[in-house]
Amino acid sequence: MPKPFTSIVLVLTLLMMIPLALLAKQRVIKGRSPRASLVWDMDNQDKVKTQKANAMFADGRGMRLPPEGTVARDDVVGNPGLTEGMVDGVWVEAFPVPVDEALLTRGRERFEIYCAVCHGYSGEGDGMINKRANSLMEGTWVPPTNLVSDAVVARPVGHLYNTIRRGIRNMPPYAAQIPVDDRWAIVSYVRALQLSRGAATVSDLSAEDRVALGAAAE
Amino acid sequence: MDHDKQGRDSFEFPKWANAIRLPVALMAAGAPVYILGMLYLLFDPGTTSVGYQPEQPVSYSHRLHAGELGIDCRYCHTGVEKGAAATLPPTQTCMNCHATIKTESDRLTLVRESYQTGLPIEWVRIHDLPDFVYFNHSAHVTRGIGCESCHGRIDQMEVVSQAEGLNMGWCLGCHRDPEAHLRPVDEATTMGWTPGLDQRELGAQLREARNINPPTDCSTCHR
Ligand code: HEC
Ligand code: HEC
Ligand code: HEC
Ligand code: HEC
Ligand code: HEC
Ligand code: HEC
Repeated sequence: MPKPFTSIVLVLTLLMMIPLALLAKQRVIKGRSPRASLVWDMDNQDKVKTQKANAMFADGRGMRLPPEGTVARDDVVGNPGLTEGMVDGVWVEAFPVPVDEALLTRGRERFEIYCAVCHGYSGEGDGMINKRANSLMEGTWVPPTNLVSDAVVARPVGHLYNTIRRGIRNMPPYAAQIPVDDRWAIVSYVRALQLSRGAATVSDLSAEDRVALGAAAE
Repeated sequence: MDHDKQGRDSFEFPKWANAIRLPVALMAAGAPVYILGMLYLLFDPGTTSVGYQPEQPVSYSHRLHAGELGIDCRYCHTGVEKGAAATLPPTQTCMNCHATIKTESDRLTLVRESYQTGLPIEWVRIHDLPDFVYFNHSAHVTRGIGCESCHGRIDQMEVVSQAEGLNMGWCLGCHRDPEAHLRPVDEATTMGWTPGLDQRELGAQLREARNINPPTDCSTCHR
């Protein structure tokens, strides 16, 4: 057998490993370059999709902001009690929507998404962000109000609604993240939290529930 | 050249050729397998798509915000239950907290600038289906498919990278067998959720209860 034969086979076998190693590396590491393709077909069309940039407009936004003074189709108009929580300069005291179990359940879910990060799951102001911000000790942080405190219990529901919609002092507004119905759902859940924390007395219960409570206590 | 019995020129393999018959045969048989295998790996979405991790303009970390701080996905990705796109948060959402937290941080300079000028932060898109495919987040999230099934453990990613191939076979794999992924709807955004019982059993129950039948007609995704 000629001498180089074994070496050639050896070198070839080693060379074969190179593409394999490159592919293996490509599969394991995080790549900075997007998906490659030989034929792009209609993968990238010039249509405007959600949040896509568009060079046609000066600000580069494909999605346009509604012109000043226009009303979207699903906007409620002419019901300030519902949309502003205020009628003729007075905060509404009664819920403008029916309060039932579905509203409270929805309110709880939304509260835990949007409010609990700061105000805590029980509303006492001990959310994760508050804990982290306190431990950073930056001096710019204002602790979130205890939502089951007497001061907040005394607020009319319209005021609570407005706090979500417009924010208050150092609390940012949440109107962009939470639609009208969900704001009222959250207000109903905040009221429920307050009731569960001593704002309710036994006399608020129905006769049946009072009996049930007495039976449970024994 | 050797000469055969009739004295004509002919080629004869040298003796040592006998010794290399096996390796040469192996190589000849192996070459197509090798080449096809390499091509398969080269065009496999696991190579082309998974792990795409572009550099983002702001060093925002999901591990910190969604993991350690436990902020729900929907706090920022507000469209996810309502529409086709999950949507990235506007700068205002960051400023909800960063107006009073880390107000001087260099890593947030761009966020503050964007807030002042009103121009959006230009995040680099990671998951991107071809434009001829229709996808809808709300159809999945409100039927009990968790973010984790398609995006992986986002709460452990310092920088987001693509976890799944997003190819047609992958979509269909789940549309044909959703039981392996179904979970209670209110756990859709939970990361690291585990079914109390067997996933298949639970999946079958949930599928039955909610009448889930993911379509596989072409017009579902190509409309
Ligand atoms: C980013 C953290 C943060 C989040 C999230 C947040 N808040 Fe607040 N909230 C605050 C801070 C801070 C204050 C106190 C503001 C001050 O005193 O300057 C406050 C105050 C309040 C008050 C007291 C207002 C008063 O009457 O004095 C209410 C009510 C309230 N928040 C409700 C909510 C509700 C409902 C949500 C969810 C939609 C929510 N907050 C989400 C930070 C937050
Ligand atoms: C504090 C706001 C915030 C929260 C909370 C949050 N995200 Fe994000 N997310 C962002 C921002 C900003 C980006 C764009 C920058 C980036 O890709 O890192 C993003 C990007 C993403 C992307 C990639 C988008 C693309 O371009 O393909 C996915 C997927 C994602 N988030 C999923 C999640 C999931 C799942 C959760 C919940 C576990 C979550 N996010 C929680 C703000 C947030
Ligand atoms: C609900 C509150 C909250 C929201 C909303 C939020 N963050 Fe943060 N973020 C924090 C907290 C708290 C820290 C500080 C954590 C630490 O350093 O311990 C932080 C830290 C950061 C840091 C690191 C800063 C540094 O110097 O260490 C960056 C960058 C950042 N956030 C970007 C963003 C971006 C971009 C958004 C919007 C998509 C956003 N954050 C939304 C609470 C929030
Ligand atoms: C069935 C799989 C699937 C599930 C479940 C899913 N996603 Fe996605 N997500 C995708 C795909 C596919 C894309 C790319 C969409 C495109 O290119 O049109 C995407 C894109 C995104 C994007 C960036 C683009 C956009 O749509 O705005 C974000 C942010 C995101 N997902 C967040 C989430 C969050 C948060 C959840 C959970 C609540 C979630 N996703 C659940 C498959 C999924
Ligand atoms: C992890 C499982 C899973 C994956 C992955 C998945 N889907 Fe789905 N998909 C579902 C389920 C479950 C439904 C809801 C079926 C129902 O409502 O009965 C659904 C519904 C849909 C619908 C709505 C159908 C309708 O008209 O009601 C579309 C469109 C869709 N999927 C597209 C896609 C595309 C495109 C991909 C790939 C990028 C994908 N899906 C990946 C599970 C999945
Ligand atoms: C569950 C969603 C879904 C269904 C149902 C579906 N597709 Fe697709 N299809 C996709 C996705 C996602 C891609 C993009 C794959 C990629 O980018 O790798 C795709 C890509 C394709 C492509 C490749 C286009 C190209 O040029 O790259 C063809 C062809 C195609 N689909 C045909 C079909 C046909 C025919 C059917 C019906 C039998 C069908 N699809 C049903 C999701 C779907």
